[in-house]
Amino acid sequence: MSLLWLRVAVLLYGVAALAVLPAALYNQPRWRHVAFPAALAGVFFHFVALTEALSAAHHALPVDTHETLSLLGLLLAAAFVLLALSYRTISFGIFLLPIAVLLTLVPAFHPGHETILYIHSGWLFLHIGLLLTAYASLFLSLIASLLYLVQERRLKRKLTTSNRSWIPPLESLDQIALNALLFGFPCMTLGLLIGSVIALESIGPTFFADPKVLLSFAMWIAYSLMIFIRRHSGLRGRRAVYLSSFVFLVVLAVWAANQLSVVHRFKAP
Amino acid sequence: MSEIKTAGPNTNLLLLGVNHTTAPVAVRERLAIPAARLADATRTLAHQPGVREALILSTCNRVELLTVYESSSEPSPITLRFLEDYLNVGVADIQPHVYQYRELEAIRHLFRVASSLDSMVIGEAQILGQVKQSWSVAREVGAIKSTESFSSTLDPLLQRAFSVAKRVRSETSIGSSSVSIASVAAELARKIFGSLSGKTVLIVGAGKMSDLTARHLIQQGANTLLVSNRTQSRAEAIVDSLRNPSITTGVLPFEILHDHAHRADVIITSTGAAATDPGAAQIFTTASARALLRQRRNRPVFFIDIAVPRDVESAVNEVEGCFVYDIDDLQQVASVNQASRTREAEAAESIVSSEAARYAGRLAQAPATEAIKQLLQNAEAVRQSELARIAARLAAQPLSPEQQAAVDALTQSLTSKLLHAQLAALRESGTGINPASPAQFTGQPGKKNRIP
Repeated sequence: MSLLWLRVAVLLYGVAALAVLPAALYNQPRWRHVAFPAALAGVFFHFVALTEALSAAHHALPVDTHETLSLLGLLLAAAFVLLALSYRTISFGIFLLPIAVLLTLVPAFHPGHETILYIHSGWLFLHIGLLLTAYASLFLSLIASLLYLVQERRLKRKLTTSNRSWIPPLESLDQIALNALLFGFPCMTLGLLIGSVIALESIGPTFFADPKVLLSFAMWIAYSLMIFIRRHSGLRGRRAVYLSSFVFLVVLAVWAANQLSVVHRFKAP
Repeated sequence: MSEIKTAGPNTNLLLLGVNHTTAPVAVRERLAIPAARLADATRTLAHQPGVREALILSTCNRVELLTVYESSSEPSPITLRFLEDYLNVGVADIQPHVYQYRELEAIRHLFRVASSLDSMVIGEAQILGQVKQSWSVAREVGAIKSTESFSSTLDPLLQRAFSVAKRVRSETSIGSSSVSIASVAAELARKIFGSLSGKTVLIVGAGKMSDLTARHLIQQGANTLLVSNRTQSRAEAIVDSLRNPSITTGVLPFEILHDHAHRADVIITSTGAAATDPGAAQIFTTASARALLRQRRNRPVFFIDIAVPRDVESAVNEVEGCFVYDIDDLQQVASVNQASRTREAEAAESIVSSEAARYAGRLAQAPATEAIKQLLQNAEAVRQSELARIAARLAAQPLSPEQQAAVDALTQSLTSKLLHAQLAALRESGTGINPASPAQFTGQPGKKNRIP
């Protein structure tokens, strides 16, 4: 049944991803009334699917890379809904919703059968969930910084003629970028801590010599540095984009390092 | 059988008035009815002989009288006489400027006015509020009956006008872009800062345009206003003229302007210093802008440079976090927005025309529909009473259920056949307003019928 709800969620994300284009880019505000409810309903069904899957998994939950990514999709779609509610902007949907569709499409229509060992442990699920939330926050922050750059250039080149510009005001974008980072940071910290404790219990100190694990701590340092610089120097615009992009690349490297890691893999050893 | 009444309004609609395109301000000001006298004027108009309902719309750009007359009256002389008597204005003086619309054209004009298509600045939002205010006053003084009383023509018409205006706003971008320098500046500030709530505006220099721009920014939520001028008394005068209870104001001595300029999110400059002293440097240079930004910890700052010659070096716009718009930039945005509004107005005209045609068509059908309804109700009442009478007479030998059904069917059939000709005639007679003929809608928008 959870698979059915997941498919409904993908469909709704797809509708929202299409509806957000005329609403944001072509000044067709009526499409907003399609995009937002569809995304909200998608998040709801995705959440139901996830909850059903987890409650059914008393022993071992079939979770593979794709299904973990589906959780990331849920977080991105939820971020879109929250932004639409808090900042009255649907512009982020142009980026977040298609990615949510892509991340959810494979697990919905081609579910995996690989199993993560210890998934019955709530702590491991929390570790995954918190880190994915941190990644989603960072991605959101990167998009907000990029949009800041675009809006800044439009204003400087005096290209803003329409009141219904699809890009939110500069100050809102700056707030979104910083708040996303501030929200993601404790998630990343806690996620890494929980992961470390689980690793110490299950694998032992050798875990910390793994390249993936070392990269993860480098990522944490880069993340915290970025927040420090943004908060204390009021960094905005081009340099903020460079900084966010750098940290995002580190995150991608950490993600890709799953393939190299001996101790940290999605597949059960 | 009782007399059949046409319960629907036997509409005879007239809209008569002057506006900014037909009358110079000298005429408009003589006809203008102040808000304090609007209720009395509306009541007086409604009490004119033959007038069933009335509404007066009086703004700085138009004075319009919308009335519903008994069909036997000739309305325009009565309305003109009202203007003459009430405002003491000679008919001969105003007649060349007055336009009048009847029936469908009056509906269409009202829809255009409420949708701001007949305004001096097309798409401005105030007119809808003014029409609503007039409607509210007319209802209060009984010049417009409520829709529920069923005898009102103007109440449903006005409510339709409001929903047409809403539709025009939501389906076109007619009111979405600013067309004045001051509102363009406020709109740009919103693109930078989002809400202007809690923002500080600094005026450097003096001038009507900078005052107006500051007013717009304050209306949008800016709540601190600083003024800096070489002449202290002039700065104080500006502060006094812009002061209101919701904002904090202050005068910034010109000598310490650069020490405190970082407190401002929006800086409006209009000193034109270089005009009086060709050797004078511009007030904000790239170096001072960089210093200002450092003090603001890179929070953006918006320079609105209204001065000619300019007060802000154009290179300041290249500094990250600084946005500089001079008078030409603002004018250019306003012109582009104006062109966009004109394009949107074409789409809006088509909405208004189709809505007016639909409304007029429905209004034309309304009296006949109501008459048919009443005719059928009366016939049914007569039939039921006759059936009851015959049932009482046959109480000793009541009819069997089959016989009752046969009698019922017979009387129904007789009633239908007897009423057929009358019903057909009523359906064909579109009493009241003639529905729109397509030709009536192909004319130029705003074409007026002048009183000869």
